[in-house]
Amino acid sequence: MEALVELRVLWAAVVAYVLAGSIAIIGVLLKKRPERSVLGLMLVGLLVHTASIAIRWERLGHGPFVSMFEILSSNVWSLMLVFVIAYWRLPAVRPMAALVMPILFIMMGWLMTVSPGETRLPATYHTVWLFIHIGFAKIFMGATLVAVGISGVILLRSTVFGREKFQRLPGNERLDELSFRCMAIGFVFESLMLIAGAIWAQDAWGRYWNWDPLETWSFITWLLVAISLHARLTFQISPRQGAWMIIAVFIAAFLTFFGVPFITQSAHQGAV
Amino acid sequence: MTTLLRLASLRLTLAIFVVFLLGILLAHLAGLSFSPIVTACCFLWALNLIAVLFSHGNFRRQPALLVFHLALLVIVILVAAGRLIYLNGQAEVLEGQAFSGRLVNFESGRFHPWSLKEASFVNHGFQVRYAPGLQRLETRNRVSWTDEQGVDQTAVIGDDKPLLLKGYRFYTTWNKGFALIFEWQPKGQTPLLGSVNLPGYPGNALKQAQQWKLPGLPEPVWAMLQFEGDLIPQDQEGEFRLPDDYQVVVRYGERRWELNPADSKVVDLPGGQLRYVGLTTWMGYLVTWDATVPWLLLASTIAVLALSGHFWQKYWRRPWNPD
Repeated sequence: MEALVELRVLWAAVVAYVLAGSIAIIGVLLKKRPERSVLGLMLVGLLVHTASIAIRWERLGHGPFVSMFEILSSNVWSLMLVFVIAYWRLPAVRPMAALVMPILFIMMGWLMTVSPGETRLPATYHTVWLFIHIGFAKIFMGATLVAVGISGVILLRSTVFGREKFQRLPGNERLDELSFRCMAIGFVFESLMLIAGAIWAQDAWGRYWNWDPLETWSFITWLLVAISLHARLTFQISPRQGAWMIIAVFIAAFLTFFGVPFITQSAHQGAV
Repeated sequence: MTTLLRLASLRLTLAIFVVFLLGILLAHLAGLSFSPIVTACCFLWALNLIAVLFSHGNFRRQPALLVFHLALLVIVILVAAGRLIYLNGQAEVLEGQAFSGRLVNFESGRFHPWSLKEASFVNHGFQVRYAPGLQRLETRNRVSWTDEQGVDQTAVIGDDKPLLLKGYRFYTTWNKGFALIFEWQPKGQTPLLGSVNLPGYPGNALKQAQQWKLPGLPEPVWAMLQFEGDLIPQDQEGEFRLPDDYQVVVRYGERRWELNPADSKVVDLPGGQLRYVGLTTWMGYLVTWDATVPWLLLASTIAVLALSGHFWQKYWRRPWNPD
C-alpha cells in the first residue's frame, strides 16, 4: 500500500516538473518570461518528490542508493535541486530551463520504466562515506547540468531560431565565462567525490583504487573536465568550442553514472 | 633554457592529459594493465609540472594554484611509492584457530616489509545473514588478539569493518565455508591433526569436496561433505550454519567409505589410520597493507582545498556578468 502511495506521489512530482518544463519551453518559443510559474512548479515538484523519497526511505530503511529506480529518482531530485538554486540565483539565464528540463524529462521517462522493486542495502553501504561520496557526485552532476544548459544556449544561438529566441540573454562570452565557472565548481566536487570514494573503497574493500569500470569512467570524466579547463586557459577557444567540450563532459559523466552499471558485475557498480 | 621552456609548455600539459585519457580508455576497453600508461603519463606530467614551476613566474605568484599542483605531484609520488610497498592477499583461518601469517595467494610491491606473522589473531567464528534469493547481508566475525601492551582484545569485524593489526587490514569476505578435521595416525608414528577446507559455501554448494595428500601416502585422499537440502533457504531469510545431519565420504584409490559422525569415524588406509574428528568453519579474509593511504588522502584533501581557494580568489572578486 505504501509502495503505491510512494509511486503516486512520485507521479505527482513528475507532473509538476513536466508542467514547469513545458511552460519554460513555451515561454522561450513565445518570447515570454513566465519565471515565477516555472520556479513555483519546480519547487512544488521538488517538495512532492522529497516526500516520495522520504516515504520509500522510511519503508525500506535505507536511502535511494541501490537500484536503478532509486538512483534515477535521487538524481532527478538532486539535479532539480541544483537547477532550482541556479534558476533562483541566476535570473539572467533563466530561459536555459527550456534546454535543461528536456534532459530531465528523459531521465524521468526512464525512471517510470524501471522496476521500483524493493531493495536491500549491501553491508559495505552502511557508512557515512556513502552520503559524502554520493553528495559530492550529485553536486558535480548538478553543476555540469547548469553548464550544459548555458552551453546549449550558446550553440543554439548559432542558428537564426536560437538567436531570436535567446536574444535577451547576456552575450556568448559572458555565458561562456559562467558555464566554465560551473565547470570549475564541478571539477572541485568531482575531485572531492573521487577522494571520498577512495576513502570508502579503502574501508569497504581494502583498496582505495582498483580501476573497476565505474572508477575508470569516473577518472576519464575527471580528465575530460581537466582537459576542458586547461584547453580554455591554453588556447583562446571560442564559446562554441567551449560549449561542445562541456557537452562532451556531460555525456561522459552521464554514461558513467547511468551506463556503466549496465556493463559491469564488479562490487562497485553504482546501481546493483 | 629552450628545452626547459618546451617542457614547461601548457600545450604539452594538455597533450599529456589527452594521451592519459586515450591510454586509460585503451587499457580499459582492451583489458590491458593500467600501470604502464599511468606510470608513463604521471612521469611526463611530473616533469612538465616541475618545468612549469621553474619557468613560469606567474604560476608561482598564485599560491593556491601552486599548492594544488604541488599536492598533485605529491599524490603521483605517493601512488608510485605505494605500488612498491603494497600487499593484497587472501588468507583462510579455521574457527578457533590463529592466523599464522600464511596467505593463500597475494600480490605485493617489491619492498613490502612482510611483518604478517606479528599480526596474529584468532577467529572465533562468524554469523552471516541472507535475504531471500541468497543475497548475502552483513557478516559478523568475532576475533581476538593480544595488543602491544600484552592486553587481550576482542572485536567483531565484517566486510566493511576491518581488523587493524600492525598496519594490515583484515576484512571478512564472501569466501567462507566448511572444514573437515581429521587426525592422521601413520603406523608407528605420532598422530597429526589437520583440517581440509572445502570450497566456499553457498557459492560452491554442489562442490563440497576436496582432495589432498597425506604424509607417506602415494595417492591423494578425497573427501566430501554430504547433507540433504539447502542449509540456507533460497526463498526466505536465512543464516549460514553447520548442517545438523550429514555424512562424510572419503575415497582413496578405488576404495570408498561413508562416515557417519554419530558412529563410524575411522578409515584404514595403507600407511595408517585416518580418523574423522569433526566439522567446523573457515573464513576467507582479504588482507591489505599500504602505508601511503593516509598521506594520499591528506595530499588529496590539500589539493582540493587549494583548488577551491584558487577558484574562489579568481571568480569571487569578478562578477561573471558585470553589466
